[in-house]
Amino acid sequence: MRLEMSSNRQQRLCVAMMRNVGGVIVLSLLLVFVQLAAGESFSPPGTPKNIICRSPEKETFTCWWEPGSDGGLPTTYALYYRKENSDTVYECPDYKTAGKNSCFFNKNDTSIWVTYNITVVATNALGRAFSDPVEIDVVYIVMPNPPEEVTVTVIEDTNWPFLRVSWEPPEKADTRSGWITLIYELRIKLENEDEWEVHPAGQQKVFNIFSLRPDSTYHVQVRCKPDHGFWSEWSGTTFVKVPDYFPRERSMWILIAVFAAFIILTFTFIWLSYMKIHNLKHYVLPPVPGPKIKGFDKKALKNGKFEDIFSSLVVSDFPPTTSNYEDFIVENLEVFVPEEQELIMEDSKDLQDDSIKSENSTCDNDSGRGSCDSHTLLIDKGGGDKEEALQSDQEGSQDERVPTSPEEVMEEDLLACCDEKNSPDISEKVKFTPSLISPLPRYNLMNQPNPPEIGKKHCLSDSLLNPDSLPSYFTQPPSTKNDFRSNPWECNFNHKQHPLHPQTTGKEHLQVQNEISWVHVDRTEASLGVQAPSVRSTEYVEVQRVSGGNMVLLHPVSAGQENSGTMSHQTEHYSRVKTVNNDSGLLLLQKESTGEEMGICLSEEEVESRATSNGYTASITPTSEKPMVGINSTLPILDDRMASGYVDTATMFGLPTY
Amino acid sequence: QPGRLAPISPLFVALVCLAFCSRLSRMKAASICTNSQTGCHFLSLANLFDRVIHHSARMHGISNDLHSEFELYFLPSKNRVSRNCHTSTILTPNGKENAQRIAREELTEVILKLLLAWRDPLWHFHQNMARHHKFNNLSSNKSLEMSEMVHELRKGVQKVAEKMQMLGIISNSLGTLGSREALLASDSPEWRLMNDYNLLYCFRRDSNKIQNYLKILKCRIVPEHGC
Repeated sequence: MRLEMSSNRQQRLCVAMMRNVGGVIVLSLLLVFVQLAAGESFSPPGTPKNIICRSPEKETFTCWWEPGSDGGLPTTYALYYRKENSDTVYECPDYKTAGKNSCFFNKNDTSIWVTYNITVVATNALGRAFSDPVEIDVVYIVMPNPPEEVTVTVIEDTNWPFLRVSWEPPEKADTRSGWITLIYELRIKLENEDEWEVHPAGQQKVFNIFSLRPDSTYHVQVRCKPDHGFWSEWSGTTFVKVPDYFPRERSMWILIAVFAAFIILTFTFIWLSYMKIHNLKHYVLPPVPGPKIKGFDKKALKNGKFEDIFSSLVVSDFPPTTSNYEDFIVENLEVFVPEEQELIMEDSKDLQDDSIKSENSTCDNDSGRGSCDSHTLLIDKGGGDKEEALQSDQEGSQDERVPTSPEEVMEEDLLACCDEKNSPDISEKVKFTPSLISPLPRYNLMNQPNPPEIGKKHCLSDSLLNPDSLPSYFTQPPSTKNDFRSNPWECNFNHKQHPLHPQTTGKEHLQVQNEISWVHVDRTEASLGVQAPSVRSTEYVEVQRVSGGNMVLLHPVSAGQENSGTMSHQTEHYSRVKTVNNDSGLLLLQKESTGEEMGICLSEEEVESRATSNGYTASITPTSEKPMVGINSTLPILDDRMASGYVDTATMFGLPTY
Repeated sequence: QPGRLAPISPLFVALVCLAFCSRLSRMKAASICTNSQTGCHFLSLANLFDRVIHHSARMHGISNDLHSEFELYFLPSKNRVSRNCHTSTILTPNGKENAQRIAREELTEVILKLLLAWRDPLWHFHQNMARHHKFNNLSSNKSLEMSEMVHELRKGVQKVAEKMQMLGIISNSLGTLGSREALLASDSPEWRLMNDYNLLYCFRRDSNKIQNYLKILKCRIVPEHGC
């Protein structure tokens, strides 16, 4: 049935067309004959194509087609349409309104939500051509006109002006009744540019544009689209000129600030260039002292091998076994002072008693402070005898080490003392107490008639006994200023110093640092009078080497201390003093032979002192009359190689008592 | 420790109550309008209209998508069967003048009729799609959504109609007449004869009609907002 209907339709179409074109055909035939005589060819028309229908307001619509070839003959075009579910064929009511090759459907002929089936037929004298039918529904072919009355104004209320674009919907589109809903879009560009900036605007009819460039011209265009349809053409360009604006107040402050900053920076750079870079660097970034932990390898730290570093710190024989205890104790030689100083000694002794308990626990290998009081340690280990620090140059050492000159010796000492680069592998035996140090500088007995005048610092350390490790400790010279604490690291070698006069006020605290720890040395005061290092407690005295043999000159004390004898050469041989008998007997501890380099010249007495198992007892008998300390001839001989001593007891040995 | 919480909890409760009450009062203030204030009523009607219009726009969008998919994948032949939508029996204005000339009650009735007429066919369509896996999952979800939306939109428009009747904007002639015609339309077996493509085509058009009619109705009754 449907096929029949379509054929009927076509028949009716043909009939209608026939009537219209009948006359035309006759004429065209004549023309054909004429032209045939002229020698041209004719053909039926080509099919019309590309039928496009558009409605501007959803109330009317227009269809346009593209004519095919006309075959050389005059060709007419006709548009026929059918409505949905109806077989009635209608022809286009209006070919004119919309221009050539168009068909306009007015309101009466337009039905919305109805499918139109449209066909265009081209006819010429030789034939007809039917286009492909096109089905449209007006609702979906709406393409409105561009928006109208596009106005752009520059709003200059604030410091930063902006554009306000406003427009109206196209006149024909009825948005007021809700028949059509339009959405808008605008685009803007600078005059010189090619690229537009597109802004969707929804259903609103006003739009603001910010961030404008001052003193420039903009082009603005707007277009619209219904819910389901096509975009309109862009509206005509609207030109707008943005005035030249520049918020003066703010910009001026900005300029001033920038300028001032620039000037300040310039001056800073000039100042920096005048300052030494080194100073500046030290001023800004004070050098960080490296770790001075025995067994700590900085390089390993940099490599990041933490296990290695920490393992190296672990010393296998720590805590030391009891058998080695004596080795670690750094004893100070105590030198009895003459009676006049006994009072002071008593005081110091009392103080020591008090401090023993408190300081007992502070003794720590790892502490950076000289928290270990040697006297406390001595008491712990040695049985409570107070010991006095002694330093004495060992006479015997003179033999072992032949210093070329006192100066050289001093230099050696200097180097020994100030060598901070000691490898951290200090002999493990020297763990506990650092060696005691003599607060007094040594004097160069050789050179100077008044040796006490010579100021030279002693650098003492346990590690002196250790050939491998040079001490990295320093002793502060007891200066009258009492500032020895300030630079524990520094080895102040000041030959001109006069710190033969130890401060007479209060206790002195010497800080000795060896690689292990600090030794806190309490020094009793100027009770150290002359020669005899009066102090009972950890009074350190420097024992001048007794040149003559059994003479020990002790002088931590004031410069006025007279050294009885000449000083032997300044080679320092130190032995550790373990205990000091109350009767001024010195027990010199020697390290078990670790092969320290320290050559200790042993006097005969020193040799004797080696008798005991772990230590040697050297007894020193101070005389009450004289500050000299006498050493028993029974003192064991200190071996050279038994390093440890910082106290130069060599000279002490064999000192005759006075 | 309960000891510490004891004094706090009533305070807390009081605060919560205060917060809620203030909110409630605010809401009430918004919704309670004295009858004398007509502006208040119109405002809420406009909101209702906006809601149903948005709803119908979404429904139309889904139907458009489904139709395009169908057309893409199933390539119906050029010589289609006539599109005899089962709702063609419902007289609908097919032009602007006609739509503006028609009475508000009639227009509302047309909308309701259309919505009612499509309730069953869409449901069956969805069942058909799901059963035969003719669509992918996304399209199947859309068909379900479409059928649900028809249902909800109809309720919404009913509410709007009630509101308008209450406000006296439209007379109370709605009701039985519309439903009868709609029932006739939905009972007609024609819709079962439609193939899927036709169904989608018809529904796409009808949803467009519904959306358009609602807009016209809104701009006629409450024109001050967005018309």
